[in-house]
Amino acid sequence: MDLQRLETARLFHRFGFGPKPNQFARAIKVGLAATRAELLNPPSSDSGINSLPEPQFSDLGKFPPAGTPERVEFSKQMRQQRKDLTLWWLDRMALSENCLSERMTWFWHGHWATSIGKVEYALPMYKQNQSLRSNALGDFSIQARTMILDGALQYWLDGGDNTAGAPNENLAREFMELFSLGVDRYFETDVQSVARALTGYKVVRSTGEVTFNLKKHDSNVLSFLGTSGTFTAAQVSDFLVSRDDCAQFIAERIWYRFISDTVPLPADSAIKLSFSKRDIASAVRAAATCKEMSDPQFSQVKSPVEWFVSLCRALAITPSKLSKPDQAINFLDKLGQLPFAPPNVGGWPSGEAWLTAASAQYRLQFAQYLLAQGDLSPLKNISRASRLNLLSDLLGVPYWSSRTERVLLGVNEDPARMFLLAVSSPEYLVSL
Amino acid sequence: MDTLSRRRFLQLTGAAALGATAPLLSIEQIAKAAELRPLPLGTPIVVVVTLYGGNDGLNTVIPFKESAYYQSRPDISYKESELLPLGESLALNASMTGIKSLWDAKKVAIVRGVGYPTPDRSHFSSMAIWQTGSPVSQISSGWLGRWLDTQVNDPMTAISLGSVLPPLLSGKKQSGSALPLGGIVVPTGSLALNCKKLSTASRSDSKLMASAATSLRNLFDLSSTITPILKQPAPASTELPTANGGSAGGNSDLQQQLDVVAKLIAAGSPTRVWSVSLGGFDTHANEKGAQSVLLGNVSDSISRFMSQMNLTKRGKDIVVMAYSEFGRRVKGNASLGTDHGTSGPVFLIGDRVNGGFYGDQPSLTKLVAGDLAVTTDFRSIYGTILEGILRSPAKDVLGTWSGRTNFLRST
Repeated sequence: MDLQRLETARLFHRFGFGPKPNQFARAIKVGLAATRAELLNPPSSDSGINSLPEPQFSDLGKFPPAGTPERVEFSKQMRQQRKDLTLWWLDRMALSENCLSERMTWFWHGHWATSIGKVEYALPMYKQNQSLRSNALGDFSIQARTMILDGALQYWLDGGDNTAGAPNENLAREFMELFSLGVDRYFETDVQSVARALTGYKVVRSTGEVTFNLKKHDSNVLSFLGTSGTFTAAQVSDFLVSRDDCAQFIAERIWYRFISDTVPLPADSAIKLSFSKRDIASAVRAAATCKEMSDPQFSQVKSPVEWFVSLCRALAITPSKLSKPDQAINFLDKLGQLPFAPPNVGGWPSGEAWLTAASAQYRLQFAQYLLAQGDLSPLKNISRASRLNLLSDLLGVPYWSSRTERVLLGVNEDPARMFLLAVSSPEYLVSL
Repeated sequence: MDTLSRRRFLQLTGAAALGATAPLLSIEQIAKAAELRPLPLGTPIVVVVTLYGGNDGLNTVIPFKESAYYQSRPDISYKESELLPLGESLALNASMTGIKSLWDAKKVAIVRGVGYPTPDRSHFSSMAIWQTGSPVSQISSGWLGRWLDTQVNDPMTAISLGSVLPPLLSGKKQSGSALPLGGIVVPTGSLALNCKKLSTASRSDSKLMASAATSLRNLFDLSSTITPILKQPAPASTELPTANGGSAGGNSDLQQQLDVVAKLIAAGSPTRVWSVSLGGFDTHANEKGAQSVLLGNVSDSISRFMSQMNLTKRGKDIVVMAYSEFGRRVKGNASLGTDHGTSGPVFLIGDRVNGGFYGDQPSLTKLVAGDLAVTTDFRSIYGTILEGILRSPAKDVLGTWSGRTNFLRST
């Protein structure tokens, strides 16, 4: 097996959203070290997306009473904003030259998994997304401090209902279990104390603005995880993030999403060591450099968004410019992965969960819809005999099995069919 | 855990509004059309209903005589007069009229205080424990997936509604199939031939590549058997559509899932295990209204399904099990909701079920770390389902676990 191709493909598909045309062939030419260095050092301005306009989301205010004309108009605007928000982010993923920043924003979105299904308003979700992006490769303690007071997350986990009188534990529990420490690294009494420390915050739903009401805050001395004192939300976050369990947990999450969702994080993993100062970029670099990156057994399944965006990139498609982009959103929903709408606070599933017969049919239909609008000229403009190799590079596939190679060669007179079968093949559904 | 099981609505159910005299599906006709291998009549069928989010058991099966119930949750408790009495000083949430009728017909077993040792209040850990059937060690296969491993390889044996497979149907050798509510549309002609070739196993396939190939192959295997059935109307129901529980109107998602299950069972689908789900039970805030809508939905959907099935020859074959990953705190919180707790009731419904209460009602005054005690281990229910309904040795799935909850009629 050509390990350079394997590792290059993994760099593109796991730390980005797949190559744009020519990127993969060029990466093979310049070699692994240069490819990795380029990928891990995203430029401050990305020529693929710096001309994309920022979406404008007005504050829609409160829901007008049901059954009124105002409500009809309100719902229309809300739907439009949600659609704009989703397509704006998909555009960024599909167009950026160096995807690491978008990829990490995507990773953190799955980590702090907040759903517009409950939040409903686009504006707070957009603000959360921008917060995640600005710290996607930065200091995790800042990210965590920002997120504990993020309006969308607070609303999602009932933060506004958490008052000194009788605390609501939802945010406290998930913050420890899913965002900072990992399950079973605290006791029930710690959840109760942290919930009390997080009392007194209130969210303006339509904007995500968070305010603090001292009267509803529990200002008593609280004890948890061996510390005691009075705490604000930011202080709780700082304390939890400073614990060794946090380094372990975030390293585990990075390992899980980028390297393996079945093999546990090795005890001596450099990912955890590199995260000692809570610097996300260092931990990601450690993951992209670890020895398992070139070990064929560490394959992963591409999630539906990853699969879709990588197709857009290969076909030079801008999602918002698709004819009837609602259909793309609908397909992603059917495949079970729509940005801004994770199924629950634990984020999306991984691995074989995506490989069902049901998703196989949607992927085929989705790919056909995209192919009808994509640019296939690179494949069309070369001889039949050269198409298979070009397709490998275009899609960033390290190798084909003899089965798939036979099928693709059998249809090489028809570039669209060839492309459709290639993106439906096991070699493309899996990041080998 | 807001929308874990919220899935798309389907167009299928439009055909369900048949009069009571409408002819039932002809199994033979569809079997012929779809080249089915129909399940032999009399083969028991399990329908698992997963309630995601942690259903509040104390406001489902309500101990209305206990003062501690009212003291712990003054703002979100129910008075006796609002409830559907079951006996033994317990009553059902008023939205559950459909299940109450089945209870009165002695077709509902309610197992009280169900959980597992050392309760984990995390949604994900707890759901993983219930679905893998392994409270002690973390494993990756589901309890019904391990049962599937003991069966002949067949993608039709266990089917989950929705496009993502729940862990409970994931086995080591074979997994259940996921069926989207909208049915299946597969390519035809030369593309179908190409896809079939693409889905053959290759020697160089890794495990994940083999799974990817299998998913494509299953699409063709499943579609040749299921698609013709989905085009048929659902069996008629004797239940009138209800406008229960202040529901948002129209069909509930759970009802849509169960309507598809009803069609496929009526048609003789060779399927012994079905999995459906409903999300939204994580009622940290404003619980009363939200939970009663959800429970009404569960109750209406299940009673409608049972009544559909009772018009077919397979009504007697079906056992429904409804469970959630944990119950909730006894004490209410400030947001008129409840936080994560421990044990809760499990419902088993069907003609084969010997109706009544099983397991002890956990005490509201002798709490364990502030929460309800676990009085029945869920593995005892699984054991009975495996042996009594699926007629398979429980040890292949549950190891040495020897507890059983004998909720089945003796036959």
